[in-house]
Amino acid sequence: MSMPNSHSHTTANKDTRFNDVHSTGAGGSGRWSTKRIAVYALFVALAMVLSFFSFPIFPAAPWLKYDPSGIVVLVCGFAFGPAAAAIISILGFVPHLFTNPFGALISMIVALALSVPAALVYRRMHSRKGAVIGIVSGAILGVIAAILCNVVITPFYAHMSMAKVVAMIVPILLPFNLMKFAIHGVVTFLIYKPISTLINK
Amino acid sequence: MAASMTESAVPASADSKATVARLSQVSFSYDGGQTWALDHLSMEVHAGEHLCILGANGSGKSTLGSILSGATAPDQGQVELMGRAVCFDTPDQGRQIDTEAYRQARRSIGMVFQNPEDQIVTTVVQDDVAFGPENLSIPRQKMLSCVPAALKQVDLQTQMNDDPTRMSGGQQQRLALAGSLAMNPGMMVLDEPGAMLDAAGRQEIQSILCRLTTQGTAVVHITHLLEQARQADRVLVLDHGRIVASGRPDQILTRKDVPALIGKPDRNPLTQSRAPGADTKTTANNHAIAMVKLSNVSYSFPNAGSKALNEVNLELAAGQTLAIIGRNGSGKSTLARLICALAAPDSGSIQVAGLPLAGPNRPKAKHLRRHNLKLLRQRVGYVMQYPEHQLFADTVAQDIAYGPHNLGYGPEQVQHRVDDAMKLLGIGDLADRSPFDLSGGQRRLVAIAGVVACSPQLLVLDEVTASLDPQACARIMTLLRVLHKRGVTIVMSTHADREALDLADQTLLLEHGETLAYGTTAEVVERYHRLLATDAAEKGATGKKAERDQADQKPLSLLARLDPRAKLVTFLLAMFTAFAISTPTQLVLALMVTVGLFAAARAPLRSILNSVKGFLALMLLLALFNLLVTQTGRRLAAWGPFVLTTGGIWVAVLYACRFMLIIFLGALLVETTTPTQMTDACESLLSPLSRLGIHTNEIALVLSLALRFIPTLGREVQAIVEAQAARGGSIESGSLSQRLHAAIAITVPVFAGALRHADNLSRALDARCYEGSRQQRTHYRLLRLGRMDILFIALMAVYLLALLLHPLF
Repeated sequence: MSMPNSHSHTTANKDTRFNDVHSTGAGGSGRWSTKRIAVYALFVALAMVLSFFSFPIFPAAPWLKYDPSGIVVLVCGFAFGPAAAAIISILGFVPHLFTNPFGALISMIVALALSVPAALVYRRMHSRKGAVIGIVSGAILGVIAAILCNVVITPFYAHMSMAKVVAMIVPILLPFNLMKFAIHGVVTFLIYKPISTLINK
Repeated sequence: MAASMTESAVPASADSKATVARLSQVSFSYDGGQTWALDHLSMEVHAGEHLCILGANGSGKSTLGSILSGATAPDQGQVELMGRAVCFDTPDQGRQIDTEAYRQARRSIGMVFQNPEDQIVTTVVQDDVAFGPENLSIPRQKMLSCVPAALKQVDLQTQMNDDPTRMSGGQQQRLALAGSLAMNPGMMVLDEPGAMLDAAGRQEIQSILCRLTTQGTAVVHITHLLEQARQADRVLVLDHGRIVASGRPDQILTRKDVPALIGKPDRNPLTQSRAPGADTKTTANNHAIAMVKLSNVSYSFPNAGSKALNEVNLELAAGQTLAIIGRNGSGKSTLARLICALAAPDSGSIQVAGLPLAGPNRPKAKHLRRHNLKLLRQRVGYVMQYPEHQLFADTVAQDIAYGPHNLGYGPEQVQHRVDDAMKLLGIGDLADRSPFDLSGGQRRLVAIAGVVACSPQLLVLDEVTASLDPQACARIMTLLRVLHKRGVTIVMSTHADREALDLADQTLLLEHGETLAYGTTAEVVERYHRLLATDAAEKGATGKKAERDQADQKPLSLLARLDPRAKLVTFLLAMFTAFAISTPTQLVLALMVTVGLFAAARAPLRSILNSVKGFLALMLLLALFNLLVTQTGRRLAAWGPFVLTTGGIWVAVLYACRFMLIIFLGALLVETTTPTQMTDACESLLSPLSRLGIHTNEIALVLSLALRFIPTLGREVQAIVEAQAARGGSIESGSLSQRLHAAIAITVPVFAGALRHADNLSRALDARCYEGSRQQRTHYRLLRLGRMDILFIALMAVYLLALLLHPLF
């Protein structure tokens, strides 16, 4: 199995999918094509929807929940490049700003740390190996970002000193985040090929 | 014969009118010339005429619609749209496309697509209609009159402020029409606008189309339903990319020699006699054991006021077929989901395939219930509405094998079942193809095969023929007959009467979740027709009622009238600074301001409490945690290791209140601000960033579209999770590889669905002439900071300063 080529859209002018023999200029005359706007919108909506499908995966810390939105930002980064990954990572958590403002900011930071490096690596190395390296490096940065953010934010919610939170890293935060990013990575790796075929159709 | 057919067959009177579209010798290929979707086709559309284009799936009618609307250019031939030559042959350079002429022409052409939901761009009816005029840079003053006028043309004028994502498919499609009409098109192209609607919705669209032509707009209506062609001025019949017949509907529809017309005989179900022997079979089975038995079953959706199902009873013997009929929203799908144990009823008892699913006989022990569910998955097959949305595997055969594999059959057994299912549906030749490369009808058949391959004793199908062409419908009906002969019990919800009559032993008619009639099919269907007839008669009355409702609407509250930018910024600041609260004075101040804001909003406390109740539980948990970990202050009590102190109580109260302030302020902001206002505010606040080269307008549109698609995707994710669960795929149990496989079987169709919506949406954006920054868009809604807004900002600033400066004093 090899990762098929995907278009990397760094600037609007490289938006080539509409420039086929049947193009009438529809959809391609703005800075972003309507196709691109529509795909970004649906990926953002998907990240939002999946971010609400959260469930605990680590029995020792039931308040830490897994949600599959990370898969969306990874897939988006592979398909459309780092800028798209950044947009989805930020907009995808906007609804949470109104219920859990700091939590939403953390989610944005972690999603950025995960997807942007992965997309950058994959753009350089457009192969199966590149996808693996991208996912692993994104996951490592994501884990680091998640733990740092958790150390900062937990005292806002629970009356604990930062030192106490730091003591939780090894027994709780690290294993939970490793599990979380392992699931993100494995699922993304397995579904990216069929999905990229659909995207490029 | 057909390639040479030209406009000579058209009645002479049409020639006297102006031509809005002219195609000559047009050919179109999707595969670079190997096969031709359109083959040297010539036709014209005249101003103000109602033209119907008929044809089966794959006849090229959608391609023709796309060319007429200016979205696509052909490979060969000449196209003239709205008086402009847009695609033409030149002697030296071959075919030429004039994109600027196309762009101008598209501004006068409206396009409405099949899927009503995917054409909605925002969450307020009038804003959605204004989207097209905004793109055409129509001045705001003019929009204020053309938007309500367009809504009036489709009878939605009383619903200007409603949320279109919560409307019925028929209303959504009328909204799409209004969005097009507001752009004042000279020609409207509609590609199967009624395919996803029920009979009532289709009729509404049809009558609006007839009205339009009297106003001078040319209407091109593409459909595979003969009944919709009757009211047209002219009919074209397409087959294999050629026009095979053309003329007045009364001339064309009676012809017997047109192959494309013979697919579906247009007959009245009530006059058809039952197949011989059918009635005797019903009585013979009367004493057989019940495969499905429901007693007094009621169900309501979480957070919904009325019941989706109310006291429903039914009993179906093994081997029999039950049809569930009723309008959209009558509870048909809910009943199907309950029978498949995809939802549990609020009350009543359900027994399916010998397994008690609800009621007094349902086992109490968890492992027994899980065991029952496993048995149910083996015995009951579920074909959801639009089952092709569940396809995920690389090949058709792999996808069909998913269910049998989950049920634990060995490789040989699985292979045998897959082959049998493919043979039953006549899709053996597709085994190694990707399901995503197939046509819509083929995909439906593959998805059904994936359920049939599990060899269920009971097969539940939810509107299995919805928006399929007659050929694919016929194949599904044949399958159901074969399964019936094999002794499979069948429950199918439908609103197409013919299927119900041909196959069902008994029929249940649902209306607003209640059983309106239950018994022999002929009687129940007759009752249904009476229901629809009285409904049509009451149409006029409901219009008046809606106007009264409109008059009853309360004026907007103070908070709802504020500029959304003022609200967004101040509320977010108040939410973030809630974490800075650490003294009782600060807490009292913050609580007072919040109560004041709630008063200014006249907020419906109950709905806000309802929306935050999930968080309140979390808050209580946190409070308990804080109570026990904090051990400062005076000791009040102790139970073993747990010590209760004054410090603990204060911390618990403080942290809980901070949390509550944030949740309530957020909920209040969302409650008093529409998503459209929110996006307008974001766009305006982010606009300075556009100097840095960030595409803020586009990003704001992305956000707005995303918010609008949340409910759509949410429902779809839920449906896919359920459909795969019914095929035995679950992330929650099984080995690691099984769980991974289940995750893939859910995520791939979810992504595929998102991309499908994106594809439809981008075409809808094009049809509404969205061109991003190229055009100077006008705005239907004006954002203007008034005196009230300044005062509000000042008050909130005083509060924030007081809160932050308090520790210094």
